[in-house]
Amino acid sequence: MPPLPSRMTKNRAQPTRYRPGKAEADDPASDEESSEEEEDARPVAAKAPPPKATSFPSQKKLAVDLSKAGQQSASATKTQAKAPHEDLEGFVTASESSVSEGEGGSGSSDEEGREESSEEEESSSDDEAAKPMLAPKFISKAKRTQQAPTTPTDSDKAGDEERLRREKADALLQAQLEREAAARAAGKKYWDDDDINPEDEVDDTDDLDPEAERAAWKLRELKRVKRDRETIEEKEREREEIERRRNMSVEEREEEDRRYIEAQKEDREGKGKMGYMQKYFHKGAFDFNGEGQDEEVKRALNRDLAGARFVDDTGDKQVLPEYMRMRDMTRLGKKGRTKYKDLKDEDTGRWGVDMRRKREFEGVDERFRPDDGYSGNQRTGANDVAVGERRRRDDDSGRDGKRTRYD
Amino acid sequence: MRAIYPAGKQLLPTTNMAHQADARRALDERGYTGALIRGDNPLKLFEKAVRDRIVDSYYWKEQCFGLNAATLLDRAVELNFIGGTYGVAQKPTPFLCLAFKLLQLTPDREIIEFYLQQGGEEFKYLRALAAFYVRLALEKDEEVYSTLEPFLGDYRKLKRRTREGWQITYVDQFVDDLLTKSRVCATTLPKLNPRLFLEDEDRLEPRVSALGEELEELDNDDGERANGQSDDNDEGRMNGHVDGNGLADSQPEDRSDDSMNGD
Repeated sequence: MPPLPSRMTKNRAQPTRYRPGKAEADDPASDEESSEEEEDARPVAAKAPPPKATSFPSQKKLAVDLSKAGQQSASATKTQAKAPHEDLEGFVTASESSVSEGEGGSGSSDEEGREESSEEEESSSDDEAAKPMLAPKFISKAKRTQQAPTTPTDSDKAGDEERLRREKADALLQAQLEREAAARAAGKKYWDDDDINPEDEVDDTDDLDPEAERAAWKLRELKRVKRDRETIEEKEREREEIERRRNMSVEEREEEDRRYIEAQKEDREGKGKMGYMQKYFHKGAFDFNGEGQDEEVKRALNRDLAGARFVDDTGDKQVLPEYMRMRDMTRLGKKGRTKYKDLKDEDTGRWGVDMRRKREFEGVDERFRPDDGYSGNQRTGANDVAVGERRRRDDDSGRDGKRTRYD
Repeated sequence: MRAIYPAGKQLLPTTNMAHQADARRALDERGYTGALIRGDNPLKLFEKAVRDRIVDSYYWKEQCFGLNAATLLDRAVELNFIGGTYGVAQKPTPFLCLAFKLLQLTPDREIIEFYLQQGGEEFKYLRALAAFYVRLALEKDEEVYSTLEPFLGDYRKLKRRTREGWQITYVDQFVDDLLTKSRVCATTLPKLNPRLFLEDEDRLEPRVSALGEELEELDNDDGERANGQSDDNDEGRMNGHVDGNGLADSQPEDRSDDSMNGD
């Protein structure tokens, strides 16, 4: 059906969304449609003849079913009404039986509408029957005593369940309390949430071996005393050294210095020489030669950095092509490598070396020399014209005619 | 003797920051009106990172709230180990938290002395805690030395928690670290003049070792042997000085080590 022109727009009317808990906004168009649907459904439901099949519970029930369908909206109730009646199979309330009897009498008549209306009134009066609730049935005193034991068992069950639950809760609580007590006994504090492995902990009980402990303490104390004395000695030695040098004359000092430097050089010579473009590992700025250093540390610090060769070493880099001549071979082929090699190669100055070198086209045959004889190394700029004589023009002479010319 | 507080400053109960839920008021620069150590907030002796870890820890929040000097004693006697921060998350030890609390409280000298001496006789971790506080809080170098040096004779074991695991150390070793090293228990210790410097200035006497007479004997033995053969044990051997500066001259030694331990 085309959208009704109630809104006077060309836009399609969007269906209103269902939002739970919110009353649906009434749209006149939709209202009309739904009401039409309802009216269509009701006569349809009324017109459907009750099936005669025996699988259905009973005539009466079906009739009641149909009346219910008439009362409420079309599709949903059929299934709903069926279900409670199936539950209540064999259990018929007084009001229902009267209704069904009435129905049974006039069920086959054609005037369904009349029946419907009457049924509606009656069924609306006992709306309780629509719910799947067990209506209380009267039991005579004799039969009551038979049924008596069942009812207390229900309440008993409830009580039992509660008791069970309480007991379980108690048991849990008990277990937790016990665990806490055990943990506290073991010394674990409740603010301490890390698990200390008991094997890792060291034992700090005293007096396990008094003699050994005392001996250990004596050793420590002696070391401390020794350390103190050595600092004193060190200071003394330095003071003496300063005194000595002060008392020496200048020449003696220079002699000592020279000897010291030579000794240093000797040490350095023992180490290797740096190769061409060798990878250079700096020792680091914090190489102080303290006494508290490990043997390994000392060895590492005094290593021969220049003479070290390692497994992946490329050897002599002079034979490599220029592209591969880099200090750090791990950068080979990687992005972002600058072409900078070292200062010497980047230098564009001519430090007097070129003048003494052979000309480029010296030994080459005459045919292959450039046209202008020796312009190989010279300036190649665009405006590179040697400064020559100023070209005198004839009309130029009168420019500065007032001044005398002295050229 | 109130050596910790600046002269003339009364300590009012209201300025005691001990009962704040966390140390933030005490850490706040603007509002601090408590005692000063070296002219600054005592809590600033710990670095910011360490301070944050302490204040965020469970131990601090649960156990160190509202402590005073007496109740701190209860906590301190429950201490099991010393240490700074440990683990990946730099968790502070209870020892460090209590030291922080002590700095917050800045108790009197007498109380600290009590912790060190009488309390420390029975509880070695309390002694370690008080020694740590003394090293941090006392401003005069000679006082630090004179207070801590007697405990170089206490050789009880201490359990120490490092970043990686556990270590055994001793009370005398710990005190020695406090006097010599620059960083102990996650704190950079304030600068302390070396003992030699103080001796030269005559502010301190040369140290009397707890070994005392035994040291003298060793020295004499080595002195005799040094003239003859060279010997492995060169402790006490000096270049021409038989008894050096570090050794007392035949003073009557009471065996100070005996009086030190509570065994």
